[in-house]
Amino acid sequence: MTAVLVMFRMLLRQQIAVGRFILAGAFTALFVILALTSSGSPSEELESTVLVVLGLGLNLMVPIITLVAATSALGDLVDDETLVYLWHRPTPRWKLALAAWLASVAMAAPLTILPLALTSLLSSGATAAVGAAASAALSVLAYSGLFVFLGLLLRRALIWGLLYLFIWEAVLSNFADGVATLSITTYPTSVLANITEVDVGLNPRSTAVSIIVSLVVAAVGVALTARRLDTMDIA
Amino acid sequence: MTDAPFPTDPPTGPPATPAPDTMPLPPAPAAWPPPDATIVAYDVSKSFGGVVAVSNISMAVRPGVTALLGPNGAGKSTMLRMLSGQAKPSTGSVWVAGGDPRKDPEARGRIGLVPQQDGVFEKENLLDVVTLAATLSEIPEPRERAREALRTVELDPDLERPVGAFSKGMRQRVKIASALVHNPLVLMLDEPLNGLDPRQRRQMIELFHQLGETGRTVLVSSHVLEEVERFGSHVVVIAKGRLAAQGDFRAIRGLMDDQPLRVRVVTSHIKEVTAALVASGAVVGCRIESDQRVEIVTDDIRRFRREVAVACRHYDARLEEIMPLDDDLESVFRYLVGGAG
Repeated sequence: MTAVLVMFRMLLRQQIAVGRFILAGAFTALFVILALTSSGSPSEELESTVLVVLGLGLNLMVPIITLVAATSALGDLVDDETLVYLWHRPTPRWKLALAAWLASVAMAAPLTILPLALTSLLSSGATAAVGAAASAALSVLAYSGLFVFLGLLLRRALIWGLLYLFIWEAVLSNFADGVATLSITTYPTSVLANITEVDVGLNPRSTAVSIIVSLVVAAVGVALTARRLDTMDIA
Repeated sequence: MTDAPFPTDPPTGPPATPAPDTMPLPPAPAAWPPPDATIVAYDVSKSFGGVVAVSNISMAVRPGVTALLGPNGAGKSTMLRMLSGQAKPSTGSVWVAGGDPRKDPEARGRIGLVPQQDGVFEKENLLDVVTLAATLSEIPEPRERAREALRTVELDPDLERPVGAFSKGMRQRVKIASALVHNPLVLMLDEPLNGLDPRQRRQMIELFHQLGETGRTVLVSSHVLEEVERFGSHVVVIAKGRLAAQGDFRAIRGLMDDQPLRVRVVTSHIKEVTAALVASGAVVGCRIESDQRVEIVTDDIRRFRREVAVACRHYDARLEEIMPLDDDLESVFRYLVGGAG
């Protein structure tokens, strides 16, 4: 696993950029303000916090921050033509794909899970915090798999990713339960609903199914990334 | 991509020689690819959309230093990218250091690659960049080996600045150190001397020669002829995406029967000797440069050599010099590229 660790460390360092932290900071500030200003009775407080976690956190902040982190994990290396220095070594492709996924998770997780969990804790208590943290973690794991692959597959992956998030995840998946089954956000949202027992306007899947589906999405994303690394031309 | 019938292991041992007491046989047609070739491309083409960048190139490279030569846009970098495994040939196949570098990680591990692009991991320091390369090549003591590789290219391993703050020449040397760190059997370098100062260029060329002399295959792509000439005489010339020639460039020149040779003759009786040569029909043109020097154009070098000796003897002239003027790489390159495609 030494190869995975050294590539993970290097990819993570390459990802760190001021602009990305400003983006994450802006989302975090917006989320904190909305969550802390929501008020009502204790039960209403939990419900309003969960709805803010869902609406601003799971639907917007987590996927977008993960999109930025994940598409840049290998996409930046494609753009600046440095991927060849990792690609040309006798390391199996899946190790590079795994390292990129880990780097994306390591970048996005603290920027999303911590603010969601802390703010939920302050505004509504431990149950909301656990629900927020667990659902955000699953979301980061799954979206990282998908968006690392997207970053390698497409130029302007950020734009395509945003289109996917707004058209598929935010709009189309709300039309029918069948479509929602194919939406990644359905599963973290189900975990949030199951833990907090708040009605989020969705037929929630079981927690076990939600965890499994999210991990499968992540694994499929890593596998597709490895496959793409194997077949693509490298600058 | 078709599977070519290439050996899976580099052949070893000298080629067979005939027993000394047998009657000499006419030379057999040269086997292709040569048994000691470490890089073989078989009928390789590469297209981007409808544009053909490389067309049906078959080439073989043996241990030693070989220059991959061609004008800008000729297809050198595309060819090198296919040989290194970075690009998949549209048709044909590639065999390098015991396997297909795209499919065979072990073969890839025997290749050192210096790509053309400038970028290196700009936030890392140079020791971390080269150590990363060593670690991914799974060699023991990667950090110590990285230090050695950096010293080989005259860089201080303890420099703490990030690579992004380095000059182009320093970044180029970091790339070369990364390519050398695992002691590869085959080294492929795309325009490796870009950004280096003259002293560093000399040092790098010397290093490539040392590697070539120790049995490694060094394939260097360049469009700078003076640079290529110093790499040695083995060239692979690509022009307009096609193979124009491969081999020793002086031998290539010798085979160009359709290109008259220019030769400078220095002798004490210049007018008489020149007149005799013209009268003999051994020359097709001449230009007297001074009272002792004439530039001759001939389309039959062997006959010219005979006739010049006869003329000098006849006039009792002292023959001081016969110097070919266009068997240098630049002339060969000009003829090849001019005639390609």
